[in-house]
Amino acid sequence: MGGLFTLGSSLIAEAEQTHEGLSYLGLWVNVLFVLAILFGLMSYAKKGLNERVFKNPITQGFEQVYLFIENMCVVIIGNHGRKYVPMVMVLWLVIFTGNIVALFLGESPTADLSFNFAMALIAVGYVQYEGVRANGLFGHVKHFAGPKLGGVLVIISGLIFVVELISEVLKNVSLSLRLFGNIHGGHVAVESMNKLGEPILVPYGMFLLPIKLLTCVVQAMIFTLLTCVYISLVTHHEEGHGERHAPAAAH
Amino acid sequence: MSTERNSGGAAAVVVATVIGIGLMMGGMYVSLNVHLGFVEAMNKSGIPFDPGKTVSMMGVLLILFPVIRIFFIAPLAAAIGGRTSELERTFAEAEELRGEMTKMRSEYEHRLVQTEADARERIQAEIKKAQELGQALRAEAASHADELRRKAEREIEAEKNRVLTELRLHVVNLSLGATEKLLGENMDSATNRKLVQDFVDKAGAAR
Repeated sequence: MGGLFTLGSSLIAEAEQTHEGLSYLGLWVNVLFVLAILFGLMSYAKKGLNERVFKNPITQGFEQVYLFIENMCVVIIGNHGRKYVPMVMVLWLVIFTGNIVALFLGESPTADLSFNFAMALIAVGYVQYEGVRANGLFGHVKHFAGPKLGGVLVIISGLIFVVELISEVLKNVSLSLRLFGNIHGGHVAVESMNKLGEPILVPYGMFLLPIKLLTCVVQAMIFTLLTCVYISLVTHHEEGHGERHAPAAAH
Repeated sequence: MSTERNSGGAAAVVVATVIGIGLMMGGMYVSLNVHLGFVEAMNKSGIPFDPGKTVSMMGVLLILFPVIRIFFIAPLAAAIGGRTSELERTFAEAEELRGEMTKMRSEYEHRLVQTEADARERIQAEIKKAQELGQALRAEAASHADELRRKAEREIEAEKNRVLTELRLHVVNLSLGATEKLLGENMDSATNRKLVQDFVDKAGAAR
């Protein structure tokens, strides 16, 4: 008990020291808040799953999200993209709920770079895992070297390999910074506009709500869409192999 | 198969949970105790970043993915899939029924055409039969009429012959009577009768 108190005190102290972004404890509180909303909605939506036609509006909403993400996965990744729907949908739900929370509260997990970077690491790490599963470890690493070149051009393959490696690492940065920039930037923009309206007691920032709502959807979609694209890039050989092997299997 | 998948899924959840908890604990330790130079520099330049939070949140997400998948996404996908398959089955049944209806309609139309053709054929056959019967009856009637006519002719002829014979006999008798009266002599009746008869025959033949 005393240990927990010490831990809590140190976390709060650490939170007070942090001037930019959420503290460790603050992030946890926000994440738990977002997850509570998400699980509450999912529990409510789950009650409507037993009906032949979903009449519960929340269930209908989740159904539309599922169908949208399934469609996105199949269109971008291919027919084998359906197996990635759960992973992509969890990302979409967490980001979207986080973004919606950011609309009404000053803080949100998706407005925190560390949280976004964790999501990006998980997404890109999953992409690498799927790449290794699809092509084998050697095939996946070889994939970074680009097309097979002979002779002196092997140097170019080496350069491509290095560039691709940097690109893979920077995918994490781009995914996380984009989301952070948009959501955190939205907060900053609202605060700045509110300050502009302070003398005449008009919160100009509220006029940004519609565009922030659009940002919530668009950023969730961009993050998941890019994840799908990355998965597609490392697993698109699967269908090609399947198509090539199909006639052989038929024989 | 499903049991294997479930046990595999449960194992994945356990592994993810263990790794996730480890990452959360590690992240908390890093966040509280480790101060990296580049992080300080990032914070100073306005980019708030805490690797400890990142590691912790990776742990949360690692646990979150299988939990949400099992808690909600799998039942949702099953419900949508079940509904879709039920709709597909209903559509397939409707399509099958439509096919059967089309087939039945085609058979009915075919039977209708066949029945019409049969009825037409039967009517034609009956008409032909009636015509043949009519012709036969007409032929029979004509034959019967001919027969009656011939019989009547024969009877007329016989009657005529009988009447002529009677007439001749009468004429002979009259002639004989007249001749007896004229000549006044007693002649052999049989001889005279023969003479007169010959005369009358000759006269008839000459006429």
